[in-house]
Amino acid sequence: MSRPVLVSAAAQERHGGHGRLAALVGAVVLVLSGLLPWAYSFEALDGMTLPVNPSPLQVMGMVLGLLVILGLLGPRLLPARRGRLTVGWLRAARAAGLGAFVFMLLIVISIAAELGGLVNVEYGGWVALVGALLAFAGTRLVAPGPQSTLYAARTRAWLELLAIVVVMAAALVGIAYALDNDDAGLFVSFLAFAGALLATLSGLGVMAWLSAIAQRRRQVLILAAFVVAFLFPFTQDGSDANMSIATQVIIFAAAALGLNIVVGLAGLLDLGYIAFLGAGAFTAAVLSRSAFATLDWHPPFIVVVLISGLVSATLGLVIGTPTLRVSGDYLAIVTLAFGEIFRITMINLDGEAGPNLTRGSNGIPAIPDLTLGSFSFGRPHELLGIPLGRFSNYYFLLLVVIALIILVFSRLNDSRIGRGWVAIREDEKAAEAMGVNVFGLKLFAFAGGAFLAGVAGAVKAHQDVSVTPDQYVFLQSGFLLAAIVLGGMGTVLGVLVGATLLILLPEKLRFVAEYRLLLFGLTLIVMMRFRPEGLIASKRRQLEFHEDDEELAGRIDDQIQPSAALKGATA
Amino acid sequence: MSTAFQPDAPGLDRGAASDDRAVLVASDVTMRFGGLTAVDSVNFQVNRGEIMGLIGPNGAGKTTFFNCLTGLYQPTSGRVMLNGKLLPPKPRKVVMAGMARTFQNIRLFGNMTALENVMVGRYCRTSAGPFTSIIRGPKFRREEAATRQRAQELLDFVGLGTTTDSLARNLPYGDQRRLEIARALATDPQLLLLDEPTAGMNPQETRQAEELIFKIRDLGLAIVVIEHDMRFIFTLCDRVLCLVQGRTLIEGTPAEVQSDPRVIEAYIGTGPEDAADLEKELEA
Repeated sequence: MSRPVLVSAAAQERHGGHGRLAALVGAVVLVLSGLLPWAYSFEALDGMTLPVNPSPLQVMGMVLGLLVILGLLGPRLLPARRGRLTVGWLRAARAAGLGAFVFMLLIVISIAAELGGLVNVEYGGWVALVGALLAFAGTRLVAPGPQSTLYAARTRAWLELLAIVVVMAAALVGIAYALDNDDAGLFVSFLAFAGALLATLSGLGVMAWLSAIAQRRRQVLILAAFVVAFLFPFTQDGSDANMSIATQVIIFAAAALGLNIVVGLAGLLDLGYIAFLGAGAFTAAVLSRSAFATLDWHPPFIVVVLISGLVSATLGLVIGTPTLRVSGDYLAIVTLAFGEIFRITMINLDGEAGPNLTRGSNGIPAIPDLTLGSFSFGRPHELLGIPLGRFSNYYFLLLVVIALIILVFSRLNDSRIGRGWVAIREDEKAAEAMGVNVFGLKLFAFAGGAFLAGVAGAVKAHQDVSVTPDQYVFLQSGFLLAAIVLGGMGTVLGVLVGATLLILLPEKLRFVAEYRLLLFGLTLIVMMRFRPEGLIASKRRQLEFHEDDEELAGRIDDQIQPSAALKGATA
Repeated sequence: MSTAFQPDAPGLDRGAASDDRAVLVASDVTMRFGGLTAVDSVNFQVNRGEIMGLIGPNGAGKTTFFNCLTGLYQPTSGRVMLNGKLLPPKPRKVVMAGMARTFQNIRLFGNMTALENVMVGRYCRTSAGPFTSIIRGPKFRREEAATRQRAQELLDFVGLGTTTDSLARNLPYGDQRRLEIARALATDPQLLLLDEPTAGMNPQETRQAEELIFKIRDLGLAIVVIEHDMRFIFTLCDRVLCLVQGRTLIEGTPAEVQSDPRVIEAYIGTGPEDAADLEKELEA
């Protein structure tokens, strides 16, 4: 993989000292500018008009400046020594410099856009922008220095648990803050800040350390993540606006995770996956107590969920059996066609062209809310004095569903079956010659993924209230695939991040919603060029995408050894 | 960990062939592609604890014959019996029947660790399904631990005990060859097919490979080796089969094959000086 080089290594050698000085000055200017007013009116962003009274966004800018300073001074404060772990100070400074510049650019653009023109940017804003530019340009002149080895740090248990708690708390606060504001500029700037922060930590080596902890303390981490997800509705004060988005995110993520078993683990390109979600949704709709349901059998919901999953899995078997014997590209074409066939079939099952099952393009509306005993998902409830709306109820149900899917995903991945899938991805012929049941494993991935989509679809039907064929078009399959490619093939966290971004951005930013196809397309192209393994990649996938990168292979080799040794010691 | 690797060889005494030591019996195997007869009524038998060499000049049909044995091709006529049973026509089923192979150009799973590679070899001898894998039932845990232990034993056996967690693609060339053998052994074979196991090796690595193959033979496995390195094959094998133009030219002990003028002719041509040269080289 080649990254774009702005400044050659030779130039960095020659001008490193100047760069460092310029960056330090720029960063100090950026920090001080937080005490100046940035905009002329309170209307812009979060009100940055008062001197010596920084708004949250201004504080973020100051933090980025401080990070640049910390990164540049780090090597002086804690010089590298033999036996001491290497910290990627300068890499962090470079990331923070870039992040600060992008952040300030977005702030200035947002102020100009929201108040009508660049004149509305106060002198403090310009000072901050210049400071950030200096910090960015200066850090570019500084050589990145050695890779961090923090991941090998042996830390005490309480520190590791504390780190997990801090990360989770930060995630909850960050998400709640981002969703709490309707201001588009603020949302984007905050995303940029969060990205810059993550990049800086990654440069320092903290992210690698955290991911090593995450591997050692998987159970704790997953539990903590679910606690955070569970707490989220309580931060919303009964409002359904954000909870509606959150449930959409989870349904989307659940479907994407199911697809990730097919695409990320088994390595099969499925372009018609949304049809399985649709099959589950239609099954649940037809069996629901809606006045428009075409079947007069209304089993309890848990049975409906199972039937929906089985219907989808059966479809998966029917499609998979003949097509999984052929190689990659053909499968993509067949599944693409299957997605369309599914949609057209649902339109034609309207009582005229075929038997009346789905009421054609009208679909099945007025699907009643779920009830569980005396608990109705449609009515708002109150827990510990905090009101929870309709979407919060579904949100909790969906959390259970996605927890199940994550469980299936990660446990299959780490089993005999998962090893078989990796072997097939690596070398199908060799896998077959070593006794791996290639066809069987592929079919299982295909049908299993379909089953999970069917389950998610059944819940979606009730949450959406109505099910129509045009909800399940090819574009949706494309988005699911985009979430996986963007987030990271074969990882749970990556897909969650990808799904969140893909749903959240269009909801929060009208600009993104209008141009979403263009923007997502561009994003994917950029990703393919610079990071084909996705934002959060599994190590194995990273290796697969960089077959000729020996340095990466060596580094990952180093990273798996200590953790594997540890596993052996505890087992 | 301390227990040495023991081959469990189920079905070894089920062999119903005339010689109950026979593991693989190929009788009258013929393979035609259209008008071309690549392999022409070849008879072939390998016994347990025996190393059989398969040689022949380029285009002699070695690879085609090899593919008939591993289930990639189904012979046009004739039959291949493994442990007294007809060989199934699919590579996967052949492995399950007790025959494992390595590849001429190494085909490891490069992005898996050495241990994982060997564990994949255990796939066909384990049966944990999706359900027990998801709930982590007792069967899954028992089987997973056994798989891991067996894989580690095999790595120790081939001399890779210390590279357990290295990525296969980062291993040196000779180690990759050993790893491939360990992966093949993980399928509990009674017969091991080695396709040019020393291709690209230096003399020292070749000697190590030789020792390893003897060690595997001593476990009671039958071994078939295809090789171009004559010195290697004649020191290693108990018997050698020479194929020329799809037919058996000669089958016998290394000494017999070595001294047969037709073998020399097939490799070098009929020039008397050439033959003398080769003879000299073979004796060296």
